[in-house]
Amino acid sequence: MQKPHKLNSFIGLIVPWTFWFSMVLVWELACQWGEIPEYILPAPSVIWQAFLDVEFSRWLGHLWATLRVAFLGFIISVAVSIPLAIIMMRSVLIKRILYPFLVVIQSTPVVAVAPLIIVLLGTEDSSRILITCLITFFPVVVSTTTGMLDTPEELIELSRSLQAPRYRETWQIRMPYALPHIFSGFRVAITLAIIGAVVAEFVAAEEGLGYFIQFSTSFFKIPQAFAGLIFLACVSLLLFKSIQWIQAWWFPWSMPSEN
Amino acid sequence: MQNCVQLNGVCHTFNPQQGPVIQNVNLSIKRHEFVAIVGPSGCGKSTLLRMVSGLLMPTSGKVKVFDLEVTKPREDVGIVFQKPTLLPWLSVIKNVLFPLKHKYGRYSKEQQKRAFDLLEMAGLSAFADKMPNELSGGMQQRVGIVRALLLNPDILLMDEPFSALDALTREQIGFDLLDIWKAQPKTVLFITHSISEAALLADRIVIMSKRPSTVAKIIEVDLPRPRTTKTIELPQFSKITAEVRELIYAETA
Repeated sequence: MQKPHKLNSFIGLIVPWTFWFSMVLVWELACQWGEIPEYILPAPSVIWQAFLDVEFSRWLGHLWATLRVAFLGFIISVAVSIPLAIIMMRSVLIKRILYPFLVVIQSTPVVAVAPLIIVLLGTEDSSRILITCLITFFPVVVSTTTGMLDTPEELIELSRSLQAPRYRETWQIRMPYALPHIFSGFRVAITLAIIGAVVAEFVAAEEGLGYFIQFSTSFFKIPQAFAGLIFLACVSLLLFKSIQWIQAWWFPWSMPSEN
Repeated sequence: MQNCVQLNGVCHTFNPQQGPVIQNVNLSIKRHEFVAIVGPSGCGKSTLLRMVSGLLMPTSGKVKVFDLEVTKPREDVGIVFQKPTLLPWLSVIKNVLFPLKHKYGRYSKEQQKRAFDLLEMAGLSAFADKMPNELSGGMQQRVGIVRALLLNPDILLMDEPFSALDALTREQIGFDLLDIWKAQPKTVLFITHSISEAALLADRIVIMSKRPSTVAKIIEVDLPRPRTTKTIELPQFSKITAEVRELIYAETA
């Protein structure tokens, strides 16, 4: 029997890297030969230089400001979302009451609400964290609820037939079953947390990567803005990946089989 | 012998517009009897089983276990499902101990010992610390059976437990079940689609009619025990399976 197609790990590593490297090369060459002005699209080498021109400690300062807000926002939103999902799973009535409200929050553009929140809470971290929470909680609630409802009916029957307390049904059966779903929710939420933090910085901040990009642009330092943007993208990618690593490390059985 | 499970005029309706699924089922099962239930698909065999387990209440009629009406799940009933439904994050031994952990939040050393003994009886002691996905389908189902035996139930309800297994594994695990049943006598209610499986394992075969289903006929399986592969070659065996088959076809026609 033929085995399902599986990527050779060497090729699986080499090909994507080569692809991205050549894309950067094309970009570099296009900028140099096409004489594209720096303020429209700076060449990678120029961006790299701009990156090096900024002191490392300043980068770290901005990074910390953004990460602090993104992390706290993410953690608070998880701490609220998971209990909320459990309550909504347990009570249809509460779900009926809360769900429309959640959808309304989710579909209101955060950018539009952000200035109001700043007015309400001031320009401290707390307002930026709230903005981040507003944008991150929805995927976590939805994925947790979906995951818990996805539990095999037989296991719920087993639990009922044992007349076990309901909290154990949730904790020992539904929650672990929901973990793969919860982690995909986390992966979406962590990237949204960065977006939330940056949006908040655009509205009001004195430091942070979003703030850095904005002031670089307003001072017409386009290569520096690009450097900030790419740095931010790399941080997002790293956070996205680390959620996967945490899942593989703590809950290896919950990883989807890859082929 | 003492009556163990008794169904008196049991009816069940899920949706009044579609009419009853089960209508007027009368059946009594003696203690430590092995009863197989066969019938056309969708005839409510699983519904019947769930009513005996106390997970589902009859719309009318009475389900009694040891002369007591079933109003909620009982402690002395173990359930084996069609799929093994093991918890993928727990090792085999922890899966077996799960009912205790789930019901009481803990288990004792003796209970752990009992779980090991049960695994040994099922020929799985070498796999106690393996994870479920490292086991074959047949082994997983064995673990499912061992899990149902942990609380030493007097009644074992089995809902097409071997239907996901290949024919050879299925036969083998059937004989193993008989060994367990002999070592630790239990009242077994066994739902199956396989006529030969029913004939090979059971003392009696209950044939259900199509919807709204009721007991069409009960056949005594007077084959000698212990049942072995030799049993299948007996002329009596073919006679019984032919009879059951005819009755089922009469129902589906």
